[in-house]
Amino acid sequence: MTIEAPGTTAYLESLVDVATGELDRRIFSDEEIFDLEMKHIFGRAWLFLCHETQIPKKGDFFEAPMGKDNVLVVRQRDRSIKALLNTCTHRGNAVCRAEEGNVRNFMCTYHGWTFGLDGELVGVPGMSDFYRDELDRSKHPLRKVAQLDTYKGFVFATMDPQAPPLQEFLGRTGRIAIDLLAERGDIEARPGVQKFTLNCNWKFTADNAFDYYHPQITHISAQAVGMIPSADVNDTGGAKTDEGKALGVQRLPTDLDTLVALGEYGHAISGPSLDSMLRTLPPEMHELVTWRRNPGPLAALGPVGSRFAGHPHLFPTAWFTMDAQISLRVPRSAGVTEVWWFSFKDRNESPEEQKAQLGRQIHSFGPAGFLEQEDGENWSQSTAQTRGGASRDIPQLLKMGLGRGKIIHEDGVARIEAPVNEHAQLWTYLSWLQWVKGTDWDELRSATTPGDYI
Amino acid sequence: MATAHLETTLAPEKIAAMYLQYEVEQFYTHEAALLDHQRFEEWVDLFTDDTTYFMPIRRTVPRRNLSREFTQPGEMAFFDDDKATLVGRVQKLGTGTAWAEDPPSRTRHLVTNVRIVEDLGTQLTVETCFHLYRTRLKSEIDEWIGRREDVLRRTEEGFRIARRDIYLDQTVLLSQNLSNFF
Ligand code: FES
Ligand SMILES: [Fe+2]
Repeated sequence: MTIEAPGTTAYLESLVDVATGELDRRIFSDEEIFDLEMKHIFGRAWLFLCHETQIPKKGDFFEAPMGKDNVLVVRQRDRSIKALLNTCTHRGNAVCRAEEGNVRNFMCTYHGWTFGLDGELVGVPGMSDFYRDELDRSKHPLRKVAQLDTYKGFVFATMDPQAPPLQEFLGRTGRIAIDLLAERGDIEARPGVQKFTLNCNWKFTADNAFDYYHPQITHISAQAVGMIPSADVNDTGGAKTDEGKALGVQRLPTDLDTLVALGEYGHAISGPSLDSMLRTLPPEMHELVTWRRNPGPLAALGPVGSRFAGHPHLFPTAWFTMDAQISLRVPRSAGVTEVWWFSFKDRNESPEEQKAQLGRQIHSFGPAGFLEQEDGENWSQSTAQTRGGASRDIPQLLKMGLGRGKIIHEDGVARIEAPVNEHAQLWTYLSWLQWVKGTDWDELRSATTPGDYI
Repeated sequence: MATAHLETTLAPEKIAAMYLQYEVEQFYTHEAALLDHQRFEEWVDLFTDDTTYFMPIRRTVPRRNLSREFTQPGEMAFFDDDKATLVGRVQKLGTGTAWAEDPPSRTRHLVTNVRIVEDLGTQLTVETCFHLYRTRLKSEIDEWIGRREDVLRRTEEGFRIARRDIYLDQTVLLSQNLSNFF
């Protein structure tokens, strides 16, 4: 085995083996790799910041993370939206220390430099007495993100002026991901973003969005109390508890009929097909997904896009749930990730429907959710073991369905139809490798364009 | 001499107030013991059938926007449970497969600053401060400090919790989950 020098392209390429479905566990704890991710992924990709309805009035702001930068997403006087780096152009202090709120301007509490909603420097204490009017205020506005755009109310930004336009970055798969929420109706963000902290690498949270192999074990207690349906089928493959008991593991009824979409730049969708979901949901809950067949949504989603009922994930860190929520994973360091839950409602729904959905959202996900309570420790313990000198040499496996992912190209979507598999996770890491190498945009796009097999 | 002094200076309503304070504090000490001894079925029986159990999201906002600090009922929250949901949480813990609590967390519920802020006879409104200390696995420590506002209903069996609002002194939660009760 040849050991490549850390940081080189050859080294990075040795970390992801798509042919064998094996990853090097160093990618989950090496600080140098994290720094490369900050630079090449979070410094370049279009990142989800917030939804327009979170900042409806002029002066409303929401602080969003972009890598290690913090930006203030601000509603302007002309109703447009700007995203400003939350760092004073004098000597760096944060000009705003709240998570959200409403302001007329941002005054830095260090020396009092004052910035308008558009970031222009409008006030400098001692401008004439101390600076003798020699400071050119126009040269020191709050810095803006390189590009900002919205897609159906969802606000995105990138720090890279060279990045392709948002629509192109999203591509067909990324747009379907958002349409599966946006086309549901007249979408409004519910007040309150749940934020909590996991001691794990962000990639565990990202690839788990596609993982329909884990619910039957990780979430077995939620299944036992009726939070998720089970199929009366056991394929435990010999799994037993510590004391040798068979758990009676019941897979999800949708598990043999799943749909995967692979998209450029690393976006993907994976999980149940709409048909299998309809066979599973009680009739009174069909409306959760059948709206996708209404004329408006169907026109946006297309014949293929409307067949997904799984989990879309926008590379690098935005997971969309089936019930109108976005889980944004915010890397803080190689071993610490925050989870931010954005939750939405459809203004057209009745108050009863809105309330029922709120209950489902609070009780499924988030730190106290019947499902998500169990997820964090899997990821933090998985991360912790990647620090062991011997443990980190064991490859990370994504072999389920390996080589069987026949890709069907139709209506601009590259899809795979198969039982539960790990194709989308493998796609995530294949794309991750291209990003982290610092591949330029054109090459990145072609290297992450799905072929005929994965 | 001391006894005579007590009798002459303590009016009956003061003694009643002290006794009420004692009763309420005993109730909370008992409740905390049930939680820390993992006797969750008995714990959930302390809630009325029409109870609500609510923990809003807290946000760092400018002082001017303090009215927006906590989310309101009907908005997002960490807990927004009725009795059936609370019972469901207890049942989940009892399945033997709720991995977030297996191995179980070690918890200590410290309840203090007990203030009876309203007494309507049939029910009381009581504010308490709490410190929930949790350790897990080898070296994980989580702590939550905050304030609870309860409505305690008087029943034949003693106090029962008809409403509990929990206000945490954290905005971004520093823990990986909230798999324990407050
Ligand atoms: S650092 Fe902001 S005014 Fe000096
Ligand atoms: Fe999960």
